[in-house]
Amino acid sequence: MASAGSGDEKAAAAAMITLISSDNEKFEVTEATATLSQTIRHMIEDGCTDGGVPLPNVTSKILARVIEYCKKHATAAAGEEGSSSSFSDAAFLEVDRAFLEELEEFDDAFLEVDRATLFDLILAANYLDIKGLLNLTCQKVADSVKGKTPEQIREMYNIVNDLTPEEEAEIRRETQWAFE
Amino acid sequence: MAPPPPPQAGLIDDVTAEILLRLPPDEPEHLFRAALVCKPWLRILCDPAFLRRYRAHHRAPPLLGILHRLQVLQGDPPAEFASTTSMPDFPHPGSDGRRTRPLDCRHGRVLIHMFRDGGMDLLVWDPITGDRHVVPEPDIDWLVYTAAVFCAVDGCDHLDCHRGGAFGIVFVGTADRREIIKASVYSSETGAWSVPVSLDNGAEYYAQHRQDAIADERYYTPYVQPRRVALVGDDIYFTLRRGNTIIKYDRTHNCLSMIKPPSLDAGDCCICLMAMEDSSLGFACVEGSDLCLWSRKVNSKGAEWVQFGVMELKTRIHDCNEDYRMFAVSFAEGVGIIFLSTYVGLFTIEIKSGRVRKVGGPGGYYSVLPYMSFYTPNRGSLLSLARTH
Repeated sequence: MASAGSGDEKAAAAAMITLISSDNEKFEVTEATATLSQTIRHMIEDGCTDGGVPLPNVTSKILARVIEYCKKHATAAAGEEGSSSSFSDAAFLEVDRAFLEELEEFDDAFLEVDRATLFDLILAANYLDIKGLLNLTCQKVADSVKGKTPEQIREMYNIVNDLTPEEEAEIRRETQWAFE
Repeated sequence: MAPPPPPQAGLIDDVTAEILLRLPPDEPEHLFRAALVCKPWLRILCDPAFLRRYRAHHRAPPLLGILHRLQVLQGDPPAEFASTTSMPDFPHPGSDGRRTRPLDCRHGRVLIHMFRDGGMDLLVWDPITGDRHVVPEPDIDWLVYTAAVFCAVDGCDHLDCHRGGAFGIVFVGTADRREIIKASVYSSETGAWSVPVSLDNGAEYYAQHRQDAIADERYYTPYVQPRRVALVGDDIYFTLRRGNTIIKYDRTHNCLSMIKPPSLDAGDCCICLMAMEDSSLGFACVEGSDLCLWSRKVNSKGAEWVQFGVMELKTRIHDCNEDYRMFAVSFAEGVGIIFLSTYVGLFTIEIKSGRVRKVGGPGGYYSVLPYMSFYTPNRGSLLSLARTH
């Protein structure tokens, strides 16, 4: 779907896109890296990337992290395309496995951030529509919520409890098993 | 420079939904606790569109609990739905003291044989909604039998199909006195059972199977094993007591046929049928201290059994008495879990990860009926509160 014509393809792979953060910092990235974001992919398809892509919802600090993620995963995607279907012998599978392990390690290290940054990354992944990053970051938060009490969850994520004590008591009475 | 505008409330809700979507369904308490965090979270968790996405994201309903069947001479198990999560047991329809015999769990429903004075009925029970449908017995004079309940809605993904949709029942049994196997199907839409069909003595392999049995024992009754059946596409598979023989009931053509299993060291009565993810038939059995997994590959040349996995059990299940055999007593499709009955208790083992969990004490589990369904907070006070705000 991405290829318009074979001649353009190579040019597209080398094409650079400028992303501009909310605090006006410019980031030069390859199109392959940028198009992990469906939002940016659509902008490229619509031809509205001349003069850079302004991203008013993403700060330079977060954008730098997002680009770091996309670079790593764009390489991974390219690697997968190259090794799929035609090669299935052990040597290639071994390479694939090593690469996937490395990617997993990268993801784990990538998630070693404070909660505020994690949330900013989720908002950016959602706005830029980067499926892998959204999945990774949201799963991290979901895992941290798992097994916690409602009070602990509110405290962890600064959430105001807007249920009345009566409402809360009624729910607890009805589904007592969930809170023991 | 002006600071970036704060994210809009709608965006926060979108992102919250993305996070809540990823709470695992295998312990319903995760969703119920999250629902009590604040009203925006509660609203998301009760939103039908979110719940559709949630079920689709997790692909297969989780295991919530089990019922089980005993061997013919062991009588009937206690009337209980044993929860395998932190949720309490669902109240069993036989808790009023009636004699009951659970037969199957599938597609969010439980099929129970309800004994009453002067007869028996079949009950299709939805533990989550409490819905009950009483179905009369089929016209089969059974000696031993098994049965399957299933969703009969065309094109259903079976993620949430138990809420009042059409269902079917297949009843298969060894007919008393005539020593033949019969099958009949019930449709909730017509409210009627089909005319029973029998396994023809001339069916491929079956004539030989009978002949061998008669040569050994002088007479032969093909006992249907009172175990949970496997449903693969429109076909129902069940086993006979002798030689791990598999019988297929083809719903489309309304006929019975026999399938030969591979020869096994483990002996008779040891295989537990499985509906595989690739829509083939499989089975699990314990040979020595290994759990062996087989799958039936059908191609243009015919069908062959392929062993696709062996799992060592000694290191996974400790304190196992070597003199006591372990048995594969059920398979939970979708979640890929095999149940193992051992001297020290009932265990689940996940095929993909090999993770082992104890889910019951020691007991004569002959066939475990795993109940899988999504249990979400869109009920009771939670739902009314979500709707009023």
